[in-house]
Amino acid sequence: MNPTITVLVLSSIGFFSGLMIYVASRVLPKEDESLAEAARIKEFLPGADCGACGYPGCFAYAQAVAHDKQVFVKTPCPTLAQDKEGMKRLEDYLGLKAEATVGKKAVVHCTGGSHPIAEYDGLQTCAAAVQLSSGFNECSYACVGFGDCVRACPTGAMSIDEERHVAVVDWETCIGCGLCVPACPQGLTELIPANTPQYLACNYQAKRDIPGRKRCPDGCIHCHICEKVSTEGAVTWDEKKDLPIFHVDQIDTAIEKCPRHVIRKTAAYEEKEAEAVASTQESG
Amino acid sequence: MTNLFVIFLSMALVNNMILAKFLGLCPFFGVSKKTKSAVSMGLAVLLVMLVASAVTWPIYYYILVPYGVEVMKTVIFILVIASLVQIIEMAIKRTNLTLYNALGIYLPLITTNCAVLGITFINVDQTYTFWESLFAAGGAGTGFLLVLLIMSGIRERLDLADTPLAFKGTPIAFITAMLLGLSFLAFKGMV
Repeated sequence: MNPTITVLVLSSIGFFSGLMIYVASRVLPKEDESLAEAARIKEFLPGADCGACGYPGCFAYAQAVAHDKQVFVKTPCPTLAQDKEGMKRLEDYLGLKAEATVGKKAVVHCTGGSHPIAEYDGLQTCAAAVQLSSGFNECSYACVGFGDCVRACPTGAMSIDEERHVAVVDWETCIGCGLCVPACPQGLTELIPANTPQYLACNYQAKRDIPGRKRCPDGCIHCHICEKVSTEGAVTWDEKKDLPIFHVDQIDTAIEKCPRHVIRKTAAYEEKEAEAVASTQESG
Repeated sequence: MTNLFVIFLSMALVNNMILAKFLGLCPFFGVSKKTKSAVSMGLAVLLVMLVASAVTWPIYYYILVPYGVEVMKTVIFILVIASLVQIIEMAIKRTNLTLYNALGIYLPLITTNCAVLGITFINVDQTYTFWESLFAAGGAGTGFLLVLLIMSGIRERLDLADTPLAFKGTPIAFITAMLLGLSFLAFKGMV
């Protein structure tokens, strides 16, 4: 075996391979422009990959926007929409104005008022606890407080109130992605429009059962008072669940009149209150 | 024709790359957690195996053998396969973005995959003809894809099973691989 030939064969094959890569990079069509553009757009996005926009992640959304800018106008990133400054930066970059949309926020339809009637020592997840006769609380619709929603939440907006063993949502950090909705085995989490001033903190649905007062000191007793004292259409009744549904109208009388005080105010209520105060001061 | 078919089948099942020859074990454990990525990886390996066999065969028989430098085959095959994968990745990225999203990130992983290098050596050792080596590569790639698919399916279900704490994760995957290898032993003697 001749060493010269060995060296020559190896180096010539190496040289040829390098040449082929160079030729390929010149001959092949240029890289898709939208890919680089998408990488730049992604810098402006929150990067939580929550999927609230309907795309499988932030980069997929950025690719869609890079492909067709109208995607951003029609369906702006719902997470970014909560952050006015970040939204402004991306709008400036794209030179477009997104259509104003009302974001969504999560609420938990439970106050945690129901007491445990059994000791549970199994797997410390909600999904497992609920498998056993719908949880261990007196109310079989109640939050069991093991925090499946906390683990699902990408921003840490969900937390467990240690005292009452119930999940609570921080609307400041909630981005309305809805990942907590399928995570809750009791179906207590729900997305509501971010401008809704109140929600019902109870999910007690049994239609012909003895009303909630027996099961939980806070539960809805299906008395329909909120529907009666509010203006037409502000409160509708979900016949299937036997619970009221609140809409964007503020229903102060109903919140006051509710015998169980189970209609909770949201962050949007305080905002509206503050706005109302500000406007009266201006006019006065 | 029968010969080609026998080679294909024996490489896919009897002499399965992973379970009989113990090649390509890193992707076998690394990429078999999800069926989707396992299929992508398997397809990428199949593609690279075919191309690598088609290119290394002429290099071996028309360059290395005439100059009498067969000993250099390891380093030269690695060199050729690595640059080939570079070109394939570039071509896919620039022509078909959807395909790149499905396979792209797995291609660079394969450059130094021992299963790919292994099939080129097997072709040489068995003194296969050009078409025989192509069928061997196709069979090996298909077998790789098949085992990765089976393993990922089992592991997805294992995640839901109530495994003892000490066996959770990789240990139970090793035991599963052992049982899978045993069941593939049944193909011995088929060809």
